[in-house]
Amino acid sequence: MARKVRVVMAKLGLDIHWRGVYLVSQFLKDAGMEVVYLGNQFPEQIVEAALEEDADIVGLSSLSGNHMTLGPKVVRLLKEKGLDNVKVYMGGVMAPDDADTLEKEHGIQKVFLPDTPMEKIVNHMYASVGIPRPQRQA
Amino acid sequence: MSVKKDPLFNEDSINRIETDRSTWFDTALSETDRAAEGSFFTHSGIPVKLLFTPADIKHMNHARDLGFPGQPPFVRGVYPNMYRGRLFTVRQLAGLGAPEDCNLRIKYLLDHGATGVNILFDLPTIRGYNSDDPEAEGNVGACGAAVDSIWDIDAYFKDIDLGKVSTSIVTHLPSTSIVIPGMYFAVAEQRGTPWNRVAGTCQNDFIMETCVGSAPEILPPAASFRLQCDVVEWICKNVPRWNPISYNGYNLREAGTDAVQEVAIAISNAIATAEELIRRGMHIDDFAPRMSFFWDLHNDFFEEIAKCRASRKVWHQIMKERFGAKNKKSLLMRFHVQTAGVTLPATEPYNNIARSALQGLAAVLGGCQSLHIDSYDEAYSAPTEEAALISLRTQQIIQTETGIVNTVDPLAGSYYVEYLTDQMAQRILAAIQKIEDMGGLVKAVESGWLHREISAYNYKHQRSIETGETKVVGVNYQPAEKDTCCSINVFKYPETYTRQKTKLERLRGERDSKKVKERLAVIRDKCHSDENLYPYTIAAVKHLATLGEIEDVFREEFGLWAFPLY
Repeated sequence: MARKVRVVMAKLGLDIHWRGVYLVSQFLKDAGMEVVYLGNQFPEQIVEAALEEDADIVGLSSLSGNHMTLGPKVVRLLKEKGLDNVKVYMGGVMAPDDADTLEKEHGIQKVFLPDTPMEKIVNHMYASVGIPRPQRQA
Repeated sequence: MSVKKDPLFNEDSINRIETDRSTWFDTALSETDRAAEGSFFTHSGIPVKLLFTPADIKHMNHARDLGFPGQPPFVRGVYPNMYRGRLFTVRQLAGLGAPEDCNLRIKYLLDHGATGVNILFDLPTIRGYNSDDPEAEGNVGACGAAVDSIWDIDAYFKDIDLGKVSTSIVTHLPSTSIVIPGMYFAVAEQRGTPWNRVAGTCQNDFIMETCVGSAPEILPPAASFRLQCDVVEWICKNVPRWNPISYNGYNLREAGTDAVQEVAIAISNAIATAEELIRRGMHIDDFAPRMSFFWDLHNDFFEEIAKCRASRKVWHQIMKERFGAKNKKSLLMRFHVQTAGVTLPATEPYNNIARSALQGLAAVLGGCQSLHIDSYDEAYSAPTEEAALISLRTQQIIQTETGIVNTVDPLAGSYYVEYLTDQMAQRILAAIQKIEDMGGLVKAVESGWLHREISAYNYKHQRSIETGETKVVGVNYQPAEKDTCCSINVFKYPETYTRQKTKLERLRGERDSKKVKERLAVIRDKCHSDENLYPYTIAAVKHLATLGEIEDVFREEFGLWAFPLY
């Protein structure tokens, strides 16, 4: 049996909108991943948690405009710690151009904008870490 | 007005209608229609029949359940002439970048006929940090304006007469409501505008601090609730035209509840506040007239209208029966409405103009006192000027072109709307009782109950979208063929951090830091007393203490609370 995908999820910085990120965390768990939801955290603590939890994926939520600053910072700090293989995902409310820039220039694996079905997020994550999705969901 | 047995319909008529309805149901409808009966519900779960008749409201008593507008139980509205006398206030949000940028947006909206101003803040300000605090990185001036000191409030309202404009200051949290409106009052005083001419509202809701928003640092529910009550008490005594609290059903609903819970939690908070202020020696009629509410108008058109009507009825009942309020203004519930941001997808964003217009229409049919209509670009950013103008125009179209403001409560007497209003009232009262049984709202929050409720609601709702049971046009129903997201203009926040940082450096250079320290020490000390903190925070901001400095004192003295969900 394939091992479980390990995900660290966080709300970025001072953002207060917890509905989406908590929901995504629940759906990832349902799909058989091991999810640690940090609540609100700043980049340094998020990277520390990724290291401690031996994460495959870091998921960041931003609905308050800090995505261009704090998202790339997480990627940068992960690299500094030698965690280049950790995939960083983002989700939230932002301009589509910003999402493009984050993916193309700042090393964000994928940005999920509003209306994204949970299935799409789950499948994308499994594919990106190369672990098959378990048949029977937890 | 006597409330004797005075049914709207006589018994013989009702019996006949019930018989005729059965016959009609059995003979006029198809097998499919009959089989489907019982499977339709409103968003909050109230059964919806194919057809409503007088039999569904046969117990309705005109005086007891409806009355006249401006009279108990206020179901039909809080003023006798409603919108003929005064149209609902067109209140669009204005908050972006630095206070200087907001000042331009406020003037733009006022020039285009807005009659009130809603000001909102960036996350560091909402959470009580200065723009140059490390925690604020990336959030300064985004989604709202940065406010660090009294200078910023002065700049926000440059060339605007604080004695003439009605301002809603969207300080979500009690801990900032005890500081930022104080800056506003102090600015008014400096400009020679007496406090009895200053009108507006601040939000000031401990549910916002402890449940709706998450953040790394939250004050404990009891401390947040104490500050909430300090704000209400002090403002009622000192700034008589100011609404010191707007019980925020809106953001709770956006975070994840149904319409019943939205109203029940907000009223439960009002009950808790009333009990605390009475304990402090105030009379219900000293403060209840200044309590206001804030509702979220969602997609379920008639349920939302019924919610507005029912919430007035429930409020009247509680104020009268439980608190013995005598002042008529204590008995009537005034509320602001914002349309539901959470219902506005990013896909095919122009559809949101239609969604918001329908929600706005429901708000006016529900008798709101003021209205904000969300802009179509909600799922992208704060609204562009173009999008904000369409929202403003939508309000004006409702006011001047539809004719619905010419008569009061035009849906009264609709069998369905009256049935729903009664159902909503009953369910709201039951939900309030449940919270009472948990020891009141502060205790219920401390136990983590509300967080679990929100989380469970969201999970269920998302599942129903994933399975297609809940349909969202263009998203999971008749989905857009190609990606239509990228064709709209998106608002770009102006650079704010550098400007705020420069201003803060200048402020720290110019102020008397010894005086600031003294004022902060007084606040620190008073945190542990029974005294109202407002006079001490207002004294501190006058001496140019910053928001972040005062909030740090609260965080240190009250301690922090862990979000009880994870």
